[in-house]
Amino acid sequence: MATKTLTGGKNTGASARAPRSSLRRQGWVTGVLMVLPYTIFFLLFSMIPILYGFGVSFYDWSLLGDKTFIGLQNYVNLMQDEEFRTNLLNTVLFTVVSVPLITGVGLLLAVMVNGIRKGQAFLRISFFMPYVLSVSVISSIWVIFLQPYTGLLNRVLRGIGLINSEIFWLSDSTLAWASIIMATLWWTIGFVFVLFLAGLQDIPESYYEAAGLEGANRWQTFRYITFPSLSRVTVLVVVLQTIASFKIFGQSKLITGGGPAGATKTVVFSIYENGFQTFQMGYASAIAFVLMLVILVISLLQTLLMRRFGE
Amino acid sequence: MLDRIYPYVVRIAALLFALMFLTPIFWMLSLSLTPEGGSLFAGGFNVSLDNYKTVLSRAPIFGWMGNSLVVSVVTTALVLLLASMAAYSFSRIRFPGSKVLFILFLSAMMIPGEATLIPLYLLMRDVDLLGTRVSLILPAIAGPMGIFILKQFFDGLPKDLEEAARIDGAGFFKIWYRIFLPLSRPALAALGIFTFIGSWNDYVWPLISISDKAYMTITLGLPMFQSSYNQEYALPMTANALAAIPVLIVFLIFQKQIIKGIAFTGGKEM
Repeated sequence: MATKTLTGGKNTGASARAPRSSLRRQGWVTGVLMVLPYTIFFLLFSMIPILYGFGVSFYDWSLLGDKTFIGLQNYVNLMQDEEFRTNLLNTVLFTVVSVPLITGVGLLLAVMVNGIRKGQAFLRISFFMPYVLSVSVISSIWVIFLQPYTGLLNRVLRGIGLINSEIFWLSDSTLAWASIIMATLWWTIGFVFVLFLAGLQDIPESYYEAAGLEGANRWQTFRYITFPSLSRVTVLVVVLQTIASFKIFGQSKLITGGGPAGATKTVVFSIYENGFQTFQMGYASAIAFVLMLVILVISLLQTLLMRRFGE
Repeated sequence: MLDRIYPYVVRIAALLFALMFLTPIFWMLSLSLTPEGGSLFAGGFNVSLDNYKTVLSRAPIFGWMGNSLVVSVVTTALVLLLASMAAYSFSRIRFPGSKVLFILFLSAMMIPGEATLIPLYLLMRDVDLLGTRVSLILPAIAGPMGIFILKQFFDGLPKDLEEAARIDGAGFFKIWYRIFLPLSRPALAALGIFTFIGSWNDYVWPLISISDKAYMTITLGLPMFQSSYNQEYALPMTANALAAIPVLIVFLIFQKQIIKGIAFTGGKEM
């Protein structure tokens, strides 16, 4: 392969042999040198931390560095930790609700916008704009947006007669999750939307013409042409969303502070609290490895699914 | 009949959705431009910038944004440089073991950053980097996604050009620099946008690493400033607006490239 790259596989005459082998050696050296800088960063800030973290998870490890090897004890404790189990369950529930919701709404918006020529740029901008804001900005906007009495949402709901008493969005565990999901949808839908929009624009016009000739109605066209053509994008979106949902932390920390009474704490919240508030580094590392394992399984499922749906 | 009105229904629904999506941003601007308890529509459009002056005098918003900018720009530049070099090597040179190394990098894409928070904290503390802006940049460069995306792009470039250059005696490094980088400007732009937004919005690692107010990024400083206000919304909202407006302006100017870049990079993320 390297030979082919060097000579284009054409000039294989005897006269080219000597310079070619020296070029090839020079090529190896350049090749290694060009990969080296990244590799150093990779080793120092990805590989070594992972291995180190895995090691730490077998210790009772305090912030100041007092450590005792305790084998699998952290993992055993983890399984009996009521709070961790609650946080894990919260994270799973959030994922199960938000992934289909965000994927579905993103697809709906993309299908709507794809059919509109005039004003498409305005729609694209509107749906994508929140995505460029940081989690701090969107969280604070939503906290103020959701306030009882003064917040815009309650005022609008009261104005159109949907409610007649104040909703305390952030004081009830179900409503607090609903708030986090609303804010997350608003913030991240732009990403899902543009992926679907790009997928829709890749579907050849001829497919739709053929469906039109067959007399397919709008729903049939969507069901048998559009949706199957988007299978790759859909798998991609679902997997990326699932992984992102499992890692949710910022919204829960900043919108609800994990409350009310810890009802909106998540797995990464557990890492944060155990690692950096009670400083149990070993225990927090064990949680991080459980999270990593879950995400690895999702990624492997993705690889299998992608293979199934092919190119 | 239904067929006749369908396009109009879709247009009206899309417009309503768009207005709903824009509402929180308008609400933010409205609260920031009027005194506490007011709003644009109730106050008869009495707009004032007093809140902005107050927030800027009470919090180093621009300093925090400067930190975010420095961290994001340096991260993005280094990611583009290191990833494009490595991706070129993987795509065109191939040395013994290059395939194994590439697969190792590729599998590291599945590792969530959250898994390395604890060890990164301990290691950064050991080398006295904890709490610095450098500590925010280094781990972000170690992400392998850029290599993967650029290698895919490089693999698709035709080989004729570099062959001509090689006959003229150009070495691999020169070909990367003179031919590959200029040709892959769209891919580099897309990856750059993706990296920049990711770095600008990073929250959990800065939260753990940085404690000195002077080194905080805007994502970190903003909630800290806002936490001292309770039952008061104009000033926190103004702080949001200050953090959001520059980002939104950049977005509106480059929206086409940004949206394309995110779709390109996101779509390749596997």
